[in-house]
Amino acid sequence: MAGVRFEGVGKRFGSVEAVRELSLEIADGEFMVLVGPSGSGKTTALRMLAGLEAISSGSIFIGDRVVNQVAPRERDIAMVFQDYALYPQMTVFDNLAFGLRRRKVPGADIQRRVAEAARVLDLEALLQRRPGQLSGGQAQRVALGRALVREPQVFLMDEPLSNLDAKLRTQTRGEIRRLQQEVDTTTVYVTHDQVEAMTMGDRIAVMNEGRLEQVGTPEELYERPANRFVAGFIGSPAMSFFTGAEVGLNLPNVVGVRPEHVRPWREGLIGPLKGRIAFVEALGRETFVGVDVGEARLVVFEEGRAERDVGDEIEFGLVESGLRYFDADSGAAL
Amino acid sequence: MTSRAEQTLGYVILGVFSLIALLPIVGILFTALQDPDGVAAFGSLNGLHFENFKTAWEDGNFGSYLKSSIIVSVSVVFFATLFSILAGYAFGLMRFRGSTVLFYLFLLGLMVPTEAIIVPLYYDLRDLNLTNTYWALILPQIATSVAFGTYWMRTYFRTVPRSLVEAARLDGASTWFTLWRVLLPLARPAVLTMTVLLFMWTWNEFLLALVMVSDESLRTAPLGLSFFQGRNTSELSLMAAASVIVALPVVILYIFLQRHFIRGMLAGAVKG
Amino acid sequence: MAVAAPLEAASREGSPGERPPGEPRLVGYLYLLPAFVVFAGFVLYPLYRAAYISLWDWDGLTAGTWAGFDNYAEVFTDEDLRAAFVHALILLLFYAVLPLLIGLALAGVMARARVRGLAFFRAVLFLPQVVAMVVVALMWKMIYQPTDGALNRFLGWFGIEGRSWLGDFNLALPSVGLVGTYVYFGLAMVLLTAGVQKIPTSLYDAARVDGAGPFREFLAVTLPGLRGEIAVALTLTTIYALRNFDLVYITTSGGPGNATSVPAFQVFSRAFESGQVGSAAAVGITLTVIIFIISLGINRIAERST
Repeated sequence: MAGVRFEGVGKRFGSVEAVRELSLEIADGEFMVLVGPSGSGKTTALRMLAGLEAISSGSIFIGDRVVNQVAPRERDIAMVFQDYALYPQMTVFDNLAFGLRRRKVPGADIQRRVAEAARVLDLEALLQRRPGQLSGGQAQRVALGRALVREPQVFLMDEPLSNLDAKLRTQTRGEIRRLQQEVDTTTVYVTHDQVEAMTMGDRIAVMNEGRLEQVGTPEELYERPANRFVAGFIGSPAMSFFTGAEVGLNLPNVVGVRPEHVRPWREGLIGPLKGRIAFVEALGRETFVGVDVGEARLVVFEEGRAERDVGDEIEFGLVESGLRYFDADSGAAL
Repeated sequence: MTSRAEQTLGYVILGVFSLIALLPIVGILFTALQDPDGVAAFGSLNGLHFENFKTAWEDGNFGSYLKSSIIVSVSVVFFATLFSILAGYAFGLMRFRGSTVLFYLFLLGLMVPTEAIIVPLYYDLRDLNLTNTYWALILPQIATSVAFGTYWMRTYFRTVPRSLVEAARLDGASTWFTLWRVLLPLARPAVLTMTVLLFMWTWNEFLLALVMVSDESLRTAPLGLSFFQGRNTSELSLMAAASVIVALPVVILYIFLQRHFIRGMLAGAVKG
Repeated sequence: MAVAAPLEAASREGSPGERPPGEPRLVGYLYLLPAFVVFAGFVLYPLYRAAYISLWDWDGLTAGTWAGFDNYAEVFTDEDLRAAFVHALILLLFYAVLPLLIGLALAGVMARARVRGLAFFRAVLFLPQVVAMVVVALMWKMIYQPTDGALNRFLGWFGIEGRSWLGDFNLALPSVGLVGTYVYFGLAMVLLTAGVQKIPTSLYDAARVDGAGPFREFLAVTLPGLRGEIAVALTLTTIYALRNFDLVYITTSGGPGNATSVPAFQVFSRAFESGQVGSAAAVGITLTVIIFIISLGINRIAERST
């Protein structure tokens, strides 16, 4: 078992800086999620950790060892690929055993480890099938199994759920988390989906345009976003931003507020504010109402199914404890 | 409905042209089976006289010609396939300096006709005392085949998901092991298509054999046939039988593997 | 770990170059080596040598004399050579244009008709390409035979007088060309029918809604939709036409006179029969350049009109 450390790691592709000065420490046994929009450098960071991309500057540690010049096979890592990358002509058993055989693990050991992984992942009935005969979910479990049997120091996962349908994705999310806690292996998990990040990560690293924007627990990111980007990226529907001048309130800087802190008007809130309804998203248990106030658009949260029509006026207020302030120029939280 | 008429017209056109394609071939088959002592005429059938093949085989020395053709074709196809897989793997899945320039060189080779290099090949190989040997037929044809094969295999390896190669690398497989155990089992159709095309081209090659070889024992089947017809212009049925012998190996292969032949030729496969 | 320390220090600054570790630097060249050695030795070097020889006046035996570009000038001035290239151009009609027209006619008819059993037709139509060209040539020599060849007998049924197809100065070249048509029309037909079936039927529906007749439809939908396939068919058949040696050598040996002499045949006869080795090399190089330009040109045109 080992932790992972990025120390000022950078990656250039020609003139493009894919990753800039990334410093990040991942504790032994921790589940770390790298999240960000496409092109944010999260996958590149993972691939550098895997040894599939060269490191342009800085160092990467696995445990106490600098691995910059270490070949992937020597890093004692296992990776789950977005498209699973199962060997099509080999049976599930051979897929699971491939890495162990390459490492000259004794035959009896291979049998034991594959059987164990197959049991945990419910693959026992599929061991003699080929990848072409598996459903998406089964193939995904084989890909997980291939990483599991290796018993590596670090698991690397590159958007492993993005090829599953929505229902299976939710289910597998929990399964991966459970497995990881069982084996207690350090895991670096890349996704563009903030819901995945929030539900799976011990900690989350938010990346944008090659930069690390913030690292923290899901709660920290949600409650205390370091800047406007993180604030806007984490949480759905997203946080709304406005200035006091835009809505006619005496509030400094740029204000950010999440929908649950914007409520129909009652005493004790900041306001009242008046605006015109731009959209209504009635989800049954709750309703999100988009409201245009001057130049700004805020999202109002209402319990239950609210009877609202687009174009109507609505009166609402803000929960003071829910307001976050950001510097107008840098976007940094204040 | 016009579509119905069009469909019928389509069948008619296809049928007529298929007939045109087939008639001369059937004609030569019939001629080969004619009574060797009768008055031979191309395309007519007067019984099944298989002895023509025997006569051609023995008197025409086609046993020896076929042996040469097999030696040359098998050597060329084996080495060209092996080298093409290796080179295509490098071009398709590896990054190294100068790979683009080197690849364009191979592409250039694809367009060079044998006619352009036959002159120096002959005179330079003659100086090396290699003319009139199998080497003179095998080595240049490996070279021209490799130009096509490398291009073909590179195209194939480009379609392999990169992640498969990366997974193998993480699993600890060497590049050599990855090629033979992970990638090649998937590449079987692409390799088979390449192999049948190379075999066809090599078997049917004429100019190189004509220039390089003067010993009768080294003549390949097409070359032997051209000499045979020089000697036996009057014996039509014998010549037809000899022609069938020369064409048959490739045609039989075509009957069994036609999908691979057609796929390759439709992909625009040409060899220098 | 004391031993590892200096190594670690050295590797702190990232990898030199942009190469992932464990992807050895030279292994790519190693995989390339066997193919490249044999390719360089037996294609690239001879090509260079051909270019070199083409600058000399050489009979293949005695010492040559420097000729500069005279051999290339000869390609345009020498009557035999000019004729050979003109013949090649005429053969293009038979090898490339005629098969293309046949293919287009079929494609136009099949634009909206689904035909079953195409696999069978395809297999038959490709057969002539698989048979050794030497055999095809012999076959047609028998068919064209003036006294009792199949063609003259066939024409005799209709009371048409037979000809000496390969012996007549005016008929020999088209007769050889038609053999080329025979070999390659299947390629054009199969390529174009495969292509036309890929054109979305909605385009034809749209054309018909706009009131287009069958001919307009062909011009507006089928032809543009087949651009890629036409380019491939033309490139291939053109290359085959220019490389045509076996057929001419077997059927006519360039005769009668030089009525069917083509560049590929000129290379052979000059280099190995009449001792004009330099000139032969120049013709070979010229042929390569022409093939190069035509392949490039046809594909450029196909791409530009996309």
